[in-house]
Amino acid sequence: MQGNHEQQAYDRGITIFSPDGRLYQVEYAREAVKRGSASVGVRTPEGVVLAADRRARSPLIEQESIEKIHGVDDHIALASAGHVADARKLIDFARRRAQIDNLRYDESIGVETLTKAVTDHIQEYTQTGGARPFGVALLIGGVEDGEPRLFETDPSGTPYEWQATAVGGGREDSQSHLEDNYEDDLTLDEGIGLALEALAEASEDGLTASGVEMTTVPVESAQVEAVDEETLAEHIDDRDLGGEDDE
Amino acid sequence: MNNDFAPYEPELGGFEDVPEADDEPVAKTGTTTVGIATDDGVVIATDKRASLGGRFVSNKNVQKVEQIHPTAALTLVGSVGGAQSFIRSLRVESNLYEARRDEPMSIHALATLAGNFARGGPFIAINPILGGVDEDGSHVYSIDPAGGVMKDDYTVTGSGMQLAHGALEGEYDPELSIEEAKDLAARAVNAATERDTGSGNGIYFAVVTDEGVEIEDHDDVTELL
Repeated sequence: MQGNHEQQAYDRGITIFSPDGRLYQVEYAREAVKRGSASVGVRTPEGVVLAADRRARSPLIEQESIEKIHGVDDHIALASAGHVADARKLIDFARRRAQIDNLRYDESIGVETLTKAVTDHIQEYTQTGGARPFGVALLIGGVEDGEPRLFETDPSGTPYEWQATAVGGGREDSQSHLEDNYEDDLTLDEGIGLALEALAEASEDGLTASGVEMTTVPVESAQVEAVDEETLAEHIDDRDLGGEDDE
Repeated sequence: MNNDFAPYEPELGGFEDVPEADDEPVAKTGTTTVGIATDDGVVIATDKRASLGGRFVSNKNVQKVEQIHPTAALTLVGSVGGAQSFIRSLRVESNLYEARRDEPMSIHALATLAGNFARGGPFIAINPILGGVDEDGSHVYSIDPAGGVMKDDYTVTGSGMQLAHGALEGEYDPELSIEEAKDLAARAVNAATERDTGSGNGIYFAVVTDEGVEIEDHDDVTELL
């Protein structure tokens, strides 16, 4: 650990604190999240909305193969931002963990319990030698005991609960739009609109219906329900979020 | 990285050292345990005798019902060692669940967990009753040694079960008051202690309401009738 290599030395090992108490690898993982396209979550009294930007980088890619929102259990879904492959590992962890409560207690897992199980798992990768942290942030939304809940996980393994938030690239722009426009008595439909607006804030060239993936978990059904492209197109059109090169 | 979930085992303690079988001459409860669910709560009653093979009374003052949850109690039926270990495991799981989730386990979840443990664990010859109250009301379950979990309005387990059932049949009413349910349970336990050599030496009650669990005992059942 010589003078000009001082900082480098602290970012080689995940388990090593820098002298000012930072874990560089965890901070780099947060940078990886920022490189991902945005995902937005909005909680309304009628349910939770998750929205993600899934624009294709080539017209030849099959749009359906870009998955950013995933069902975890009947009543819980999550959206990711950051490394897709890392996200997939966490998604499978979450799916398995959710079924454990069915086996163990014959009960559906709570959104908070699931989130904390996932973040405890993420945390292990910040303290174990030879490991690399997950370069992904998740928004976990669902309904438990008739209450809509929305949580965020970050690469350090800290859980946060939100009324509305965004993760991934352009987070600041989405977040400030949410902070300016969120109201705690939104309908689910208004929540869908707000989530799209926030997503558009993070996007440089506006939204297209096929470039957005959206799922809701309404309180009434407590079931994960994908929002179809037609509905998305209407909302994008109504709110004029299409951008210039939209047809 | 710990990625292996074990839904059929306790988180703490584990099932590692499974004893061969709880063969004689280990202490067994013999036992008559009764659970009655009413609108106001659950009444559980048990006798107080432990015996070796049902022939020798090895203890005349056994508490065979224990609180395992803020609003639930479980009876000890079968091998005393197995039943005590079963109770400790469930109590710990219930505590952990509540500490982590900031709400008590539902009685259905507790019964499911108890069934899983009975099925997968070293608790061989146990056949307890679980009684509890939660936001869905009053519940009584019987749990068999193979992990079978059966919900009922009232149920009996133990060596005196047929005698106690005889006293209960036709007398149950969900609108019984707690006092009436205690009286009915006492009559059932008494019927069994009169004729079953594995049951006797008085009675324990556990009364479970949404307020909690209260346990009391009496040396002479007949005084209550």
